[in-house]
Amino acid sequence: MHVAERIEHDGGTPAKAATAPSAPAAVIPLRKRRGVNREGLEAGRRSTRTLLWILLAAAMVLYGFPFLYLLFTSFKTPIDTIAVPPTILPREWTLENYTNALGRSGVLASFINSVQTAIISTVLSLVLAVPAAYGITRYKTLSGRIFIMAALVTRMVPPVAIGIPLASMMASMGLSDTPIALSIAHTTISLPLSIWLMASFFEAVPGDLEEAATVDGCSRLGALWRVVIPVVSGGIAVTAIFAFLASWNEFLFALLMTAIRSQTTPVVIANFQTQFGLDWGSMTALAAVYSIPVILLTLLLQRKIVAGMTLGAVKG
Amino acid sequence: MRISDRRFALFLMTPAALFLAVFVAFPLFRLVADSFFKISPIAGGPRDFVGLDNYFRAFASDAFMGAGWRTLAYTLVVVTLEFALGLGMALLFTTLGRSSQIWRTVFMYPLMIAPIVAGLLWKFLMIDNFGLIGTLLHQAGILSNPNQIGWLSDPNIVLYSVAVPDIWLTTSFMCLVLFAGLQNIPGDLIEAARLDGARAPALLFRIILPLLRPVIAVALVVRGIDAARAFDTILIQTNGGPQSASETMSLLIYRTMIRFGDPGLASAMGTLYLLAMLTVAFVAVSTIWRPGKDN
Repeated sequence: MHVAERIEHDGGTPAKAATAPSAPAAVIPLRKRRGVNREGLEAGRRSTRTLLWILLAAAMVLYGFPFLYLLFTSFKTPIDTIAVPPTILPREWTLENYTNALGRSGVLASFINSVQTAIISTVLSLVLAVPAAYGITRYKTLSGRIFIMAALVTRMVPPVAIGIPLASMMASMGLSDTPIALSIAHTTISLPLSIWLMASFFEAVPGDLEEAATVDGCSRLGALWRVVIPVVSGGIAVTAIFAFLASWNEFLFALLMTAIRSQTTPVVIANFQTQFGLDWGSMTALAAVYSIPVILLTLLLQRKIVAGMTLGAVKG
Repeated sequence: MRISDRRFALFLMTPAALFLAVFVAFPLFRLVADSFFKISPIAGGPRDFVGLDNYFRAFASDAFMGAGWRTLAYTLVVVTLEFALGLGMALLFTTLGRSSQIWRTVFMYPLMIAPIVAGLLWKFLMIDNFGLIGTLLHQAGILSNPNQIGWLSDPNIVLYSVAVPDIWLTTSFMCLVLFAGLQNIPGDLIEAARLDGARAPALLFRIILPLLRPVIAVALVVRGIDAARAFDTILIQTNGGPQSASETMSLLIYRTMIRFGDPGLASAMGTLYLLAMLTVAFVAVSTIWRPGKDN
């Protein structure tokens, strides 16, 4: 209940609540203070720090609440999900929405399709991106520079622009409505990203590693396989996470290229709206089931994910 | 028998290059080619060469011009707000230091949620009658009745409402990138500025932001490109409605193709959209980046 009050208290003006910290004015109290603060950006006075913690709490509520509300809603009875006025917590907790949603035909199959598509697309991205990124960073050729720029330009292509011709290409290759077709489409998104990520990981590997290996009689491919790849295995893991997530959460290609057999869960969630109109209960339950594994994955692997996110943007 | 390094590098890059050529470059070529034809939506139907006619039709249509402006407005709103919020959060986390680490992790969670789910949950919060936001504002005495503001049904504000999930999803990204940049600012620099009597605003605008410039540039360009391509969140919330008030370019092209069955016109719009994106991105990169100054 106090959560609700907090929301009401700063609801409506999320911008205010969270931009207020642009007052590191709080960092230095308003009274003129010429003392030395030995902690760099660390705030000095206790009252200031308390204020900052309150700000942080408000921001956390604003950002955290929407998903919690989705979760609470998924445990309401189907009738209560659209009660007017809505309540935050369920009046009675029930798994009815979950049994309804997962019992619908095609829902469980769509989960399998999502997993399949994401795995195929991740493997394909890595198999293509790892050697390419190595070729770009290890041998600074003109073709490599052109190629990595081309990969960057690919990131700017609106999916809707290539989705339509790509879908008809897949159809003419006899691949329409297969997980393979969608995996290939998803790889057009994750491959450029993977090349960029892997290139920054290879940059960090000193060249004398493979030189030593080749002197010891390894071929260049052997050196790459036996020496360099084990060194960047952490980077490969990060890249794999990103490629997997890109596919798992993608919707537009999935909408254009799948019909019945290869539908992924995001498409099923969207279809719930049109087919069952007001079945908010099932939709929230399905959305929760689809999101929770990746949220847990994030919390477990957050260090790796942060490293991947901020790579390239921040160079010392 | 050793091949030269150049050959070896090419050999390593070829598979990925081939993949991108076949599945990105070729479809793009098809898109541009299709834009010069009038195409029947029925498979195997007639294809008539019409030159630039589709382009004239695109520019003459209110739908296309409107979608262009809406996409621009949407992108500016999303990127500005999430930058402000992300910077605020990054400064907050930096100031609080290590003690806030656990919250930094928690704050990341929206990043992993599918845009389609984010759109769905915000629609549920903003929808008329049983949406929670209207109800809470009403109970707080801010609105006279829960439906006073039709977040998703009022054509005047819907474009800003549909931007909310996008902002909510990616503030964490901005925050992460800026936070990482802030970690690289030497503490004694801030210290020295403080000793010289610099106040917080001066510290922010004269030292922190200029030092973060390259990081900010990357973050803004990456997010700008993504926001300009927004599709999932808007489709699930309003499907571009009411009266096309939230129809951005991706949605318009999708509907022109699927709903109105006009592949030729959709391709011309897609081509213009792509050209606009590339132009804006290159201008943005060359102005904010100032290559050679930062590296």
